[in-house]
Amino acid sequence: MDEYTAKQNPKSSDGRSLEPWEAQLRKGSLEMAILATLWTDEKYGLEILRALDGKSSLALAEGTLYLILNRLKTDGLVESKWVDAGTGHPRKYYWLTKVGKERLRAMARFWIQFSADLGELLDPLGDRKEKHSVHQ
Amino acid sequence: MSTNSVTESVDEYCNRLWKALHNLPTPEREDFVREVRSHILERLEAEPEVTADVLTKIFRAVGEPKELASEYRTQAMLREATRSDAQWVLRPWVLLRATLRWGVTSIAGLVAFFVTVTGYGCAVVFYLCALLKPIFPTHIGLWLAAQHTLSLGYWNGRLSGAEVYGMSMRSPTSFVVLGTLGPTGGPIRELLGYWIIPIGFLCGALFFLATSMFTRWFIARFNRRKKWTASVSHVTSIPRVTELDSSR
Repeated sequence: MDEYTAKQNPKSSDGRSLEPWEAQLRKGSLEMAILATLWTDEKYGLEILRALDGKSSLALAEGTLYLILNRLKTDGLVESKWVDAGTGHPRKYYWLTKVGKERLRAMARFWIQFSADLGELLDPLGDRKEKHSVHQ
Repeated sequence: MSTNSVTESVDEYCNRLWKALHNLPTPEREDFVREVRSHILERLEAEPEVTADVLTKIFRAVGEPKELASEYRTQAMLREATRSDAQWVLRPWVLLRATLRWGVTSIAGLVAFFVTVTGYGCAVVFYLCALLKPIFPTHIGLWLAAQHTLSLGYWNGRLSGAEVYGMSMRSPTSFVVLGTLGPTGGPIRELLGYWIIPIGFLCGALFFLATSMFTRWFIARFNRRKKWTASVSHVTSIPRVTELDSSR
């Protein structure tokens, strides 16, 4: 939990928390991340959360995941159905619709281009960091 | 914890959620509660031992029923307000109710609410003027008073301390809808006569349609941001799935 908290509340050298900036960044990518968890196969809520948690470091209040899924469904990006999984209670599975897949592809294209451009811009900072650590 | 008390706690949580989701259509309400219930049960199954502490952590991670329901209801109202059927034209209160609810939680919502109230307010004043002109021909009209005050509505009949109830604007920045800018001294004259009847109906309809269309567009444009904010706002205070999920 400490590691997680530290990860969620990094501080810049001036001691100010980066949390608001980081939250904005996470917030902006949440829809794409949720859609991406459904790219390979259909999943139910908890599976989506596990995928987000394990692969993207995007954690969210669990109940609100269903609000977002509901919204994505209204937008026609995902579809859902109740399945009796033999666990004693049914699970609601979600999968991407054709529109959802197209939207996710477009998002991914933009994201990859955007992060590559930004990476290029931030490259000098990486060099500086290395030099700085060499000097130390 | 015994199985019975766990079931009771889950039922109690779901009941609270169910009650907090009032005003929603029953099938939608049932579906959401069923899904949250299924989620909680799924989480419990992954625990080797269910203690009161574990149960509390799971409930906390899922969210307080009232808050969850409040977000869901806001979303449902906004969804209804932007639904692409023709009925919305006849239901301005759907937009007013949705923007009022939205306005409680965000600046964008507040802007939407004020624009909606102002727009519909103008429409109401135009319609009322058109309808009431034949009944109060000397009191209803478009009035030009002192201090460049232009008003549409019901004049109180006084020359000194003339006041018009409806909507008024006074250069450079004073504007009021469904109210009055207060009494003005000096002359007042009516500008439109009976032309206010067709003009009132026409402008009322235009304001009505323009307001509905703008509000629907505004909700569709700015609402998405709010939901994502709600989704990650508790990100540092909730336990992660992997922390609670001992099966991994």
